[in-house]
Amino acid sequence: MTEFRLRNVWLVAKREYRARVRTRSFLLSTFATPVLMGVLLILPALVVGTSVTGLERDAARPVRIVLACDNRALADLARGEMLRGGRGRYDISIVSPLSDTERSRLVRQIEESEIDGYVWLDKPALAERRAVFTTNRMGDFVLHNRLEAALSYAFAAQSMVNHGSSATDVATTLQRVDLTAVKPTRTSSVFNAIRGAAVVFVLLFVMCFSLLSYGVMVMRSVMEEKTSRITEVLLCSTTAQELMTGKIIGTGGVGLTQIAVWLAMAGFGAARSPYIRAALNVLDVGPSILIFFVVFYVLGYLLYSAIFAGVGAIFSSVDDAQQWNFVIILPLIASSGMILPVATSSDSASAVAASIFPFCAPILMFERIAVHDPPIWQIVLSIALMLATIFAAMQICGRIYRVGILMHGKRPSVREITRWLRYA
Amino acid sequence: MQTVELARVRKSYGGYVAVNDLTFGISAGQIFGLLGPNGAGKTSTIRMMIGIIGPDSGTVRLFGAPLSRKTLGRVGYLPEERGLYRKMTVRQNLVFLARLAGLSVATAANRIRAWCERLQTAEWLDLRVEELSKGMQQKIQFIAALLHDPELIVMDEPFAGLDPINSIQLRDVLMELRGAGHTILFSTHRMDQMEKLCDAICLLDRGKSVLQGSLNEIKSSYGRRFVQIDYDGDARCLASNPLIDSFNDYGNHAELRLKPGADSQELLRTAMKALRVKRFQVMEPSLEQIFIDKVARTDD
Repeated sequence: MTEFRLRNVWLVAKREYRARVRTRSFLLSTFATPVLMGVLLILPALVVGTSVTGLERDAARPVRIVLACDNRALADLARGEMLRGGRGRYDISIVSPLSDTERSRLVRQIEESEIDGYVWLDKPALAERRAVFTTNRMGDFVLHNRLEAALSYAFAAQSMVNHGSSATDVATTLQRVDLTAVKPTRTSSVFNAIRGAAVVFVLLFVMCFSLLSYGVMVMRSVMEEKTSRITEVLLCSTTAQELMTGKIIGTGGVGLTQIAVWLAMAGFGAARSPYIRAALNVLDVGPSILIFFVVFYVLGYLLYSAIFAGVGAIFSSVDDAQQWNFVIILPLIASSGMILPVATSSDSASAVAASIFPFCAPILMFERIAVHDPPIWQIVLSIALMLATIFAAMQICGRIYRVGILMHGKRPSVREITRWLRYA
Repeated sequence: MQTVELARVRKSYGGYVAVNDLTFGISAGQIFGLLGPNGAGKTSTIRMMIGIIGPDSGTVRLFGAPLSRKTLGRVGYLPEERGLYRKMTVRQNLVFLARLAGLSVATAANRIRAWCERLQTAEWLDLRVEELSKGMQQKIQFIAALLHDPELIVMDEPFAGLDPINSIQLRDVLMELRGAGHTILFSTHRMDQMEKLCDAICLLDRGKSVLQGSLNEIKSSYGRRFVQIDYDGDARCLASNPLIDSFNDYGNHAELRLKPGADSQELLRTAMKALRVKRFQVMEPSLEQIFIDKVARTDD
């Protein structure tokens, strides 16, 4: 009776897969999520436009700024600096000298959308180094930063010229330092704050969302078969172990299909849209990261879905299973909470320990691989521990499943469940 | 060789003994009835018989061999707790169950068509299960249990919830299958159906067999001590008659059991003095009477 028939596993998995893929909720979550993700990725990319050259090129028209300054030479220096860094994004004009009439004219130009803003630097303002930027683009902090940097440059440059430095000296001395953080093993692959945040975002969203939703899907599916009383018919032709394995594989296939559709849509989008291409560049996703993602997703899914299947077999309704669900997803919640600390100090003892702990490894070890390249032994150890835990979970939950799916009526106590383990 | 052999089988759940030291056999080509009140252990016995659960002790053999995937492939099972995938069509359900039972897609399709035409369910094939009534679903499950042409057919309460016409249709199919050499095990509370269909029975009470054997032998061992009287008048005077062991009065119809050695003719004479007797029939006990008698006796 211990013979394990792969044909039955395949048939159960196929049925499960087809039943799930054809549901409206699957279609909705598969096709609506990328749209939501796209919006959430493109928006920050639009805002943090400085690092996204593609976006800048696509801007419909340059931002028109007037530098209203009583010091013409300083305004020229600031304009030059703005144009140098702006890559055609800015159209900077200068008004000098200043008067109240001039100011009224600039305000009217803003109201009539002829310009996007003006910087007012009259003599008192020049003395105190306090510029006022009047604009409707209050939220464009990139523009604000750039103007501030350009004006600071102009003040410094003029001061140096006044002290006898040549234009070349000024340019050399005030040249900006370009700071780039590079991983020790992948010099071409850059990890900076934006990329880190994006990877963290994708990690959080896809891994947690997927592990949780597909684990719960396995649980619901088991409950559905249990309450519709079809299990006993199935058990006449297949074993509980085959049934559980088929169910886990079928539902996991649905999860992988969804991820594959998302990747395909991202690829298609990248080929067609510079916005999505720019957003994907921000993510810095290479093939090895994708492979690790799939490996950790599959391992995490197998672990959590086996446990969810066991819980599904114990209870007859989602309400009854609620308390246990919370216990199961606790490591996932803890992992989510550790994503940012692990991103910033990936080599700390707690980060290493948490990323090796099998229930947190799918998220935290993958995150460490994505942002830091941990030692190979830690990756191997975490995968080995996960495999061992999956094996143990499959054994224990398989036993609970075998007995639980035939049990109806009142909610079993913990003592009863431990007894199931003995007589399964 | 017997199709089913259970030897000293025991199954307990924690402290509760569901099946206790049960032994019986079912010969090939028989219709066998497994009887018993609620909680007698019928479902646990059937589940052990088809390998869904294992016994704590004792042995179960099918077709002369211990349980294996191979022997279980020769069994068709209709459980008491029935269910199909509600969102799938009848055809998808049947193909899936037939494939699990080992059939190819083509064979499954042919047999599904043949059985659905035979049981007049072909027009439901593309309906979702949730669109069918309970009785219709039951017929579909009946078909699902037979698709792989099993030699042993195990049916737990097969007629529950069916209207008389569908009950007769299913009964005819089962009789045909018996005629073709299939062995059939029934578990049901419907004693009248059991009586008409079964060759042999096993009566379970609290996990133990209290009566088993050929139905004819069991009935004749009870003797012709059962009497039915149709009458006009007041039959209460018979209740205390020393010839009578038990007495059930229904107003103008009474069923009674004579004491061992009591003379039915003497009872007839007594009855005619007190009542206008329209019918007086001495008969074998019904299965229901035997069932009640046996279970009541074990309670004492």
